[in-house]
Amino acid sequence: MNVTKTYIPKKFHQAVVKWQETYLPDFDFLLDNWDKYFPQDTQFELCAFREMGMCNEIECGDQKGKAKFQHAAEMEQQQGGHLLGALKAQASTEFGSIQQHQLTLARAQEEEEQFWILRMMAEELRHGYQMFHLLLEDDWSDVTDQSGPEMVEEILSMQTGSHILGAFNIDFDSFIDNVTFCALIDRVGKYQLSMQRISAYKPMAESMPQMLREEAFHLAAGVVPLRRWMEKAAQDSVYITTQDIQKAINKWLPRGLEMFGDERGGGTNVRYGLKPMKNAEAQEQYYQEVGKVVRDLNMRFIRARLPELSLSNAEALLEKLLADGGNSQGIFWEELVHMPHRNFFRRRGVPAFEMVGWDGEAFDDAEAYLRHLTTHLPDGYRAGRDFKDYAQMIHRVHAGELTRDEAARTMPSLRRVGGVCPCSRAVRWVAEEPDAIVSGGSV
Amino acid sequence: MTESETTVLIRQLEDTDIGGITALDEKIGGEYRPEVWERRIGYYLRRDPEAQVVAEVDGRLAGFMLGEVRSGEFGLEEPTGWIEVMGVDPDMRGQAIGRQLAEQILHHFQSQGASSVRTLVDETMTEIAGFFDSLGFEPAPLRSFVKNL
Repeated sequence: MNVTKTYIPKKFHQAVVKWQETYLPDFDFLLDNWDKYFPQDTQFELCAFREMGMCNEIECGDQKGKAKFQHAAEMEQQQGGHLLGALKAQASTEFGSIQQHQLTLARAQEEEEQFWILRMMAEELRHGYQMFHLLLEDDWSDVTDQSGPEMVEEILSMQTGSHILGAFNIDFDSFIDNVTFCALIDRVGKYQLSMQRISAYKPMAESMPQMLREEAFHLAAGVVPLRRWMEKAAQDSVYITTQDIQKAINKWLPRGLEMFGDERGGGTNVRYGLKPMKNAEAQEQYYQEVGKVVRDLNMRFIRARLPELSLSNAEALLEKLLADGGNSQGIFWEELVHMPHRNFFRRRGVPAFEMVGWDGEAFDDAEAYLRHLTTHLPDGYRAGRDFKDYAQMIHRVHAGELTRDEAARTMPSLRRVGGVCPCSRAVRWVAEEPDAIVSGGSV
Repeated sequence: MTESETTVLIRQLEDTDIGGITALDEKIGGEYRPEVWERRIGYYLRRDPEAQVVAEVDGRLAGFMLGEVRSGEFGLEEPTGWIEVMGVDPDMRGQAIGRQLAEQILHHFQSQGASSVRTLVDETMTEIAGFFDSLGFEPAPLRSFVKNL
């Protein structure tokens, strides 16, 4: 493995550090306690990694077999535009997720789980830094009027409510969100990074391997606590119930599905050699994979509730409960977690604002649908701005004021009156000073 | 990701394999130990996810091999690949699943700069010792010592 390590110019590096001090104030605490939770692991460093020796030829699309692009200027303008859009969206998600996690990080009941999330946040910061490295190292003037510094400033200025993708505009309500987000939304990230690993733009492809290595742990930082909570729930813990977990899945899965983009799209990215799969194909694989996670959680629950059952008997019981509903051997279908219908609670893509229920049932009355949603979503979420915006949009669509497509195109608006740093709106993250490279090297 | 003629899929370990590995371990050892595997897989996924490999047959986990490259262990300064834990479904033995897992992990160790690979095998586990023997492993002069406390 041949990996190079680089840093972005000093003023941008310092801008990221300043942003970290505001939105990730526990960063130093993480580093001070690194050896306690991650002994022998190389300590975190804010830098960009590039994997050398990757495929030199475009791996899919119209230009398959031709040399990959080293610079955006070598690409067709529309192709470069698509790439830049994906790059900025990726950067936005990395910084956006840190802002979300920070809201409820302190509420973790287990210190180990809190440190896992904290490490994950630091690595997301590095992933954002990695995207800045790509934005700043190349000349994007053929595809945008924005300069590199302007793009960095724009992304660092985004807050929950103004990020590019919907999943990053929703406040966390409890530590259940931190964990469920890792298990479901970071899983979308894994798909996106895996697809971008073959990007026709070589610097993007070279950026993915290290990000993917780190992302593997981010998923575990979600799934492992969820599995432990299923055990606790099976033992009638006062701290967690499977209903809490189910409602968190209901909150995040629809947003995860939408992160793949409209089900009808993605062909352009494939043709341009930027990704190997269209949106619907990747989304389907993701939905199946989350289904596997859910099944695994249920097995953890059954084995904890009925430890005398053998593996095969536990599997048979799960099959029976899923097929028949009701209850068996003292376990009720409702005590397990389940996959919401893929069209449930959607605001983007083909089923946007279709009013599809949790089980796939169709609603034709907006108020009845919203009442249905409130029984399936976490209390803290339905009392928040995001759900209110959704409800208002459903009413407008139902009243014929907006088409579903028009509603789907609207951005969520999370009006901020405070947040992590009330003064941060007025801050310019990138300070004007002469460019300088911090240092460079390779590992 | 590679697929052999016998439809054995060798791929990188993922978080979604925790349940499958726990089940396989239970099948081999007779003990259900989910906490052990949650912690252990969390460890390996954060250390070097590409080194960790599993085998899948018809969508079901059929084997796994976990390890990593380390330097400085027991005075061995050069980067050394360590195979630390493995398991193959007893019902699927004889299909070269272990060999395919080993080929993948050894290839990765090599790409990480390891010039040798080591493991420890209980002397009573002759089948596992035979497996490593068939892969070209030889007894090493490094002896294992233990003292009960």
